[in-house]
Amino acid sequence: MKIVVVDDEEIVLRSCRKILEAEGFEVLMATSVDDALDTIDTQNEPTPFLLLIDVKMPVRDGMQLMRIVKARRPDLPIIVMSGYPTQETIQTAGSLGAAHFIAKPFTPDELLSIVFSVPEVKKNHNH
Amino acid sequence: MLFSIRSKLIASLLAVALTVGAVSLYTGVRLLKEHVVGEAANRVRLDLNAASEMYRTRGKTTRMALNITSLGSGFVQAVANRNHPELLYHLRHMAQHAELDFAGITTDNSLMLCRIGPHEAVRVPETNEILLVRLALERKAPVDGTVILSREMLMRENPELAAKAHIPLPAKGDPSGTGAETSGMALAAAVPIFDGNAVIGVLYGGKLLNRSETIVDTVRDTVFQKETYKNRSVGTATIFLNDIRIATNVLTPEGRRAIGTRASAEVKTAVLDQGRNWTERAYVVDDWCITAYEPIEDINGHRIGMLYVGAQEKKYTDIPKNALTLFILITAGGMVLAVSFGFVLANRIMGPVQRLIEASRQVSDGSLQPEIGPIQRGEFGVLQGTFKEMVAAMERRQADSEDKIIQSAKQASVGRLAAGVAHEINNPLTGVLTYTHMLLRRKDLDAEVRTDLETIAAATERVRKIVKGLLDFARQTQLDPEPTDINRIISGTVALLENQALVKGVAVKFIPGENLPLVTLDRNQIQSVMINLVINALDATTAGDSVRIFTAAGVSGTGAARKGIEITVADTGAGVHPDHLGKLFDPFFTTKAVGQGTGLGLSVSQGIVQRHGGQIRVQSELNKGTRFFVWLPVTHTGGQP
Repeated sequence: MKIVVVDDEEIVLRSCRKILEAEGFEVLMATSVDDALDTIDTQNEPTPFLLLIDVKMPVRDGMQLMRIVKARRPDLPIIVMSGYPTQETIQTAGSLGAAHFIAKPFTPDELLSIVFSVPEVKKNHNH
Repeated sequence: MLFSIRSKLIASLLAVALTVGAVSLYTGVRLLKEHVVGEAANRVRLDLNAASEMYRTRGKTTRMALNITSLGSGFVQAVANRNHPELLYHLRHMAQHAELDFAGITTDNSLMLCRIGPHEAVRVPETNEILLVRLALERKAPVDGTVILSREMLMRENPELAAKAHIPLPAKGDPSGTGAETSGMALAAAVPIFDGNAVIGVLYGGKLLNRSETIVDTVRDTVFQKETYKNRSVGTATIFLNDIRIATNVLTPEGRRAIGTRASAEVKTAVLDQGRNWTERAYVVDDWCITAYEPIEDINGHRIGMLYVGAQEKKYTDIPKNALTLFILITAGGMVLAVSFGFVLANRIMGPVQRLIEASRQVSDGSLQPEIGPIQRGEFGVLQGTFKEMVAAMERRQADSEDKIIQSAKQASVGRLAAGVAHEINNPLTGVLTYTHMLLRRKDLDAEVRTDLETIAAATERVRKIVKGLLDFARQTQLDPEPTDINRIISGTVALLENQALVKGVAVKFIPGENLPLVTLDRNQIQSVMINLVINALDATTAGDSVRIFTAAGVSGTGAARKGIEITVADTGAGVHPDHLGKLFDPFFTTKAVGQGTGLGLSVSQGIVQRHGGQIRVQSELNKGTRFFVWLPVTHTGGQP
């Protein structure tokens, strides 16, 4: 199963890849919203995959990305992460259709427990 | 200045003095006038009675003297024998002792036998015409009274008497036009002389009243006791023949006795014509007097003259007049006193008032230590006290609000800083956490390396906590309020921390208040406040201590009395040092060991409670324990963002 991780911070991207690859996921990394859209578009449909999106990014932020993605692929499960989680961010994320929210920083176990709680992941990931 | 308290005070005192003065002046003078002049009139009336008595006594005395003489040894014999020398001796003796002006003896048919004076020897037969002599003969009894003696009769008795009786009348006001009064009025008596049962003659004698000073002066000196007023005798007495003063001590303006002057027509009409007593003020010769007149009647009841006593009216009218002057002086004095008293009083009142006005000015200029002067007694002291309290309250409130401003500025800047830092730190922190934990997953790790990695993981965990604390502090989240049962939130909190307490050996007990109203609040935030408070309590306690939590309905201690609930978290732990109490809610203030606390918990809790429109406060005693009180209104009204 593919997971696209979107964050402008490389250390976060690498951390996520490290954790998720260890669990057998295929991890694609994007450093911006545009980058992320390109990555999603290049994937053969209808391969099931998961988006792990950071909220605060330069130019366009995670919320905008979510809107675009949800418009094109409403079936894609999305997990939102943020280093500055506020009640408002969490609510917005929820209303835009995020499956889950995770606050940075996290331990590998915390990330994985969130990822595995997504039904699509449970269904499609055969470790 | 016209409307100042000073002028009003002085005006009121002046009004009081003036009113009291005017009223006492009016009533005093009125009463005095009525009483003094009334009393004087009464007195004069009584004096007239006395004078009248003295006048009549004079007649009786004469009769007694005649009686005694007529009964004297040898007298009847001498009359019977016409022994002139002896009779004259008796007559002279009697006249001298009884102060008689004339005296004589007649036969039983009124023929003169002898008399004192130049015509003592009666050579030509002569009939005595004195009325009393005839009456004594007719009645065979002694008689006395006032008689009129014509000039002829007086001439016969004694030419000197006629001369004395002659009173020239002033041309003016002389209705008769005679120019002189020639008759004499006399107080006389006549006694029949008995030889056995037969009357053999009459002894008569009397005193001429014309120009006589004895009676009137005796009256004056006895009745008025020589009282003088302004160098003139207060009292005067007069005997009138008809309306002519024949014997008087009333003086003319020139200081002579006013003999020959007449009574006023009014008096004459009332007394002589109508026979009434006159007791009124009257103009006597040249002055107003309080007077009393009564008619003098002869033995037949004909009004032949008047008896008068009077007192200078001025003496009595001057009393109210003097009193009036005195009253006016007293009133004026009272007014002067009122003004000065008013000034003193106004200064005493206005001094502190001025100081208070000045103090108010100082306060409005920004000084909170105004000078209000010494504290007075009474209501003004209360005012001063209240003023002082007000200024103190203002000072407290100002200090409070300054504290709050500093606090919120501090919070805001710390918040911005925290948000920025947290966001930046969290990304690398994710890396550190990930790689440490991924490394720890490896089974082939050397034991020392594993320990080191675990140390890194723990330290990173600390960093994570600090950043989370910062974020919690910085988070200006909107409240998500809903009606909540506060007891349920606290029960949940206690359940969460029960294990932690059990491990420490501290008993945590929640005593929920009954029938509490639902409170509109953000459950998550209030729960984090409760967690924070209970954790703080647990941190401050050691095994054997206890933490107790109460809830109760309560009214806000300060500000508007609003309905709310109060949560108390009380521990029996170490307590807070008094120096630290004031800083407890400051961001980053902590007494915990490094790494144990961020110093943000209470600051964040306070922010949350305040956003709910509530208050959080603390009481603590070193080594006894600490109590936190959280008051929340039943319905919050927004509070600070």
